[in-house]
Amino acid sequence: MLALGTTVLAIGLGGVLGPALLALVAVAVPALAAGILPRLLRTALLLSLPIAISVLVVNLFFFPAGQEVLFQVGPIRATAEGLGFAIETLARIGAISGAITLFYLTTPPADLVVDLERRGVAPRIAFVANASVQTVPAMVERAAAITAAQRARGLDTEGSIWRRARGIVPLAGPVLLGSIAEIEERTMALEARGFTRPGRRTLLWEPRDSRRQALARWALVLAVPLTFLARGLGLLDWLA
Amino acid sequence: MLRLEGVTYRYAGASRPSLHDVSVAFDDGEVVGLVGASEAGKTTLCLVASGLAPRTVGGTLGGRVLLDGEDAGPLAMHQLAGRIGIAFANPATQLTGVAGTVYEEVAFGPMNLGLPRGEIIDRTDAALAGLGIGTLAARDPARLSGGQQQLVSIAGLLALRPKHLVLDEPTAQLDPAGTRLVADALARLAADGASIIVAEQKTDLLASICNRVVAIDAGRIAMDGEAAEVLADPRLTELGVAPPATVRLHRAARAAQLPAGALDRLVNASARASAEPSAPSSAPSSAPSK
Amino acid sequence: MDGARWLRIAVGVGAGLLVGIALLAFGQEWVLALAGGAIVADVVYALLARMQTGDWGPLRFAAGLVAFAIVGYVGIIGFGDFGGEADVDPNTFINAKAANTWALILTIAMVVGAVVYFGLELLQTGRLDSLARQFTTRTYLLMAVGIAINIILGQTVAAALKIPIYLDSIGTILVGVLCGPVAGAVTGGLANVLWSYVIPPPFQYQPAAAFAITAVAIGVISGLAGRAGFLRPRPDRPSGELIVGGLVTVALVGGMALAAIIGYQTVFGTDVSLLPNEGVDWYFVVLGWLALALVALAVVGLFALLLIRRDLTAAYVVVAGVFTGVIAALISAPIAAGVFGGVTASGTDFLVAAFRQAGLDVQAATTGQGLISDPIDKVTTFFTVYIILQAMANRFKARFPQGERVVALEEGAPA
Repeated sequence: MLALGTTVLAIGLGGVLGPALLALVAVAVPALAAGILPRLLRTALLLSLPIAISVLVVNLFFFPAGQEVLFQVGPIRATAEGLGFAIETLARIGAISGAITLFYLTTPPADLVVDLERRGVAPRIAFVANASVQTVPAMVERAAAITAAQRARGLDTEGSIWRRARGIVPLAGPVLLGSIAEIEERTMALEARGFTRPGRRTLLWEPRDSRRQALARWALVLAVPLTFLARGLGLLDWLA
Repeated sequence: MLRLEGVTYRYAGASRPSLHDVSVAFDDGEVVGLVGASEAGKTTLCLVASGLAPRTVGGTLGGRVLLDGEDAGPLAMHQLAGRIGIAFANPATQLTGVAGTVYEEVAFGPMNLGLPRGEIIDRTDAALAGLGIGTLAARDPARLSGGQQQLVSIAGLLALRPKHLVLDEPTAQLDPAGTRLVADALARLAADGASIIVAEQKTDLLASICNRVVAIDAGRIAMDGEAAEVLADPRLTELGVAPPATVRLHRAARAAQLPAGALDRLVNASARASAEPSAPSSAPSSAPSK
Repeated sequence: MDGARWLRIAVGVGAGLLVGIALLAFGQEWVLALAGGAIVADVVYALLARMQTGDWGPLRFAAGLVAFAIVGYVGIIGFGDFGGEADVDPNTFINAKAANTWALILTIAMVVGAVVYFGLELLQTGRLDSLARQFTTRTYLLMAVGIAINIILGQTVAAALKIPIYLDSIGTILVGVLCGPVAGAVTGGLANVLWSYVIPPPFQYQPAAAFAITAVAIGVISGLAGRAGFLRPRPDRPSGELIVGGLVTVALVGGMALAAIIGYQTVFGTDVSLLPNEGVDWYFVVLGWLALALVALAVVGLFALLLIRRDLTAAYVVVAGVFTGVIAALISAPIAAGVFGGVTASGTDFLVAAFRQAGLDVQAATTGQGLISDPIDKVTTFFTVYIILQAMANRFKARFPQGERVVALEEGAPA
């Protein structure tokens, strides 16, 4: 699974080429195989919706070189060239988004970090990655708790955007400074558990890997430079 | 055997030392209590004993810290981690923050030391069993109660098989249930022959598990002797330490001129009553009918 | 005087003379030659003084800097395609081609400089101490907090508040200033990568990873700024210094405002007004108001620092912010244009759209948007980091690798 994830990432990067319909195929097929195609589509669409809308609006209406006007809304004109560019970009974004979503859906973050560490990422960097991922929800929870406490003390958290903005300041202080102040004690606890020992540490478990996955990985890693080469040589123009 | 010889320690940027010429020895198998007013130097002593001072927190250390006769000075923190474990008062900040389960949390230390996987599993299992928290192994450490989190932290230290365990006010931030949890666990460890140094304001807890009590005042050792003696010493209140309840009761009984045996019978009856939660005690005025 | 000192003076003066004469030979004014020579003499003297006491660090740093300058110079003179007059957009004075070339050259030069610096250190000492020193246990923990702050704030701003700033570098700059350039760089890069691929929705922001290199650059710059003591509080300064600082601040803030005004004029073809003109949609005006409010807040805060606490660091904050902002803008613009067509589902999209409507191509639009948003964003961020640092106790800050550089000098030993 992890291998799939990392390889799909590579596809995502390769999808920077023109209309990446090709890459879409590479995403949809594994998703089908993993049985998560509907969920993938739903999540990916949800995630890329804001970008998609922005891209569409911006390029449709504001494409400078647009000559062929499709329709007009007040002073704003929609152009065919804009539409074309928008579709191109959308395809690209769709591929990338699909790839990322596939990765995220098939790989628990813990797996990824453990595997990276196994392959040679410094254990302490892996620690940072893990800790950050855990800190995000922890901080949000803490902020929620502080908001509740402040609300109990009469601070107005609903209402106009200005009041809410004002409410953020007494919130940011405790959350931020609280997290930073904890660092001292956490440092001591970690060092008391041998955190500073140089070198690798033993990992309790490893994600499963298989020959097929390793092969697929290598194939995709090679595909990226090859595609760029092909594009440079004009071999892929028929896709445009 | 952990010994401090003539230790003087000053925090970085402080104008005065926090410990002055402190010499004290902690034998294997001893359970030593550390008492003193806040800011008297209890925490500093714990930090120096464990090696965190000066390695992690900076500052200047004078004198020597000897571990089994060997000068601990040249040892790095990760080398000391396997020989002395230290736990603090705040249960949440001692969690690593990267363990999804209690099991991984407890195994964190041995993993860092690069021990072989089989040994890590053995140690983790033993540590969990030793503190009686085997049932929590699959739980998320962040969702446990304060007392449980403290036990998890201590288990994580025990997994390193240290010779000495230093605990700086482990129950200070716990509710009564958590306090009892930790106190029971410590009693069990003490009974198994562990070497423990506990700094606490709750002298009742110390009275129940310690062989020896050391009192600190303004960075110097004020008293050092058998637990019962030190805790009953009238000078303790001058040092800003509240004596255990039993001591206070005895003093009150003497002041009220109650017969000597009466208080002991009262204390025993009260202990029996609290051990049987179902029996709402008849008024503890089982006054001696002489 | 001992021999070592004589040597230093001799070499310093010699180097100064060389540079001065060279400048004259190249047809520069004698004033410039004199100044150049004096500066070089000074620097060489200082470097030698350090070297003679066994401290080779500054020399290695100078070597890295020189490598950076050389690569930059060669890139600019030899290979840089800056377009020509024709590429300068008459409305915004932006030459997108030039901007992209700058970005590429800067990045390559930075990498080369770093390689030279660390290579020299490795050769000389066999270790990479300057790297190791930046990474203590505290560093790792601060990095985790910093990354979380980046993601939470950045996501809130990008997804919920549609304003043309990012606020996703507070963590990067905090780590950079307290721990060092490489620590800051790793924080920024890792934050962006995690933000895209590992953090689950609703906090996930897929475009972030492409901008990882910008975050790395921001981390490096903030680390160097912290090292140089830019965020060291300088309270109660004499009025003379404050006036100079105030002028610098006003000049830079004015520059940012000017960029925004030019942008406004480009987009709408009209002069700046706070009320909706014909042809100007109301939401642009609201956005403008919001952005103005933010800038005003930051400016007010900065001037409060300058005037009330007489803290000269306010000026340093502005300088660091604008410098970082410009570099960040230059590096991100081609990425935004090339990978996303200028649209990143954040509040900046409106600005890009506005520029596009005014006739600029994607590259120029993203560059223009960047040069407006980034300096403002970075000044605000540096200011926020400064406030955070002020709120931390001295003895706590001092335990970080570069913590000593964030503590005011007059206070001596931290309490």
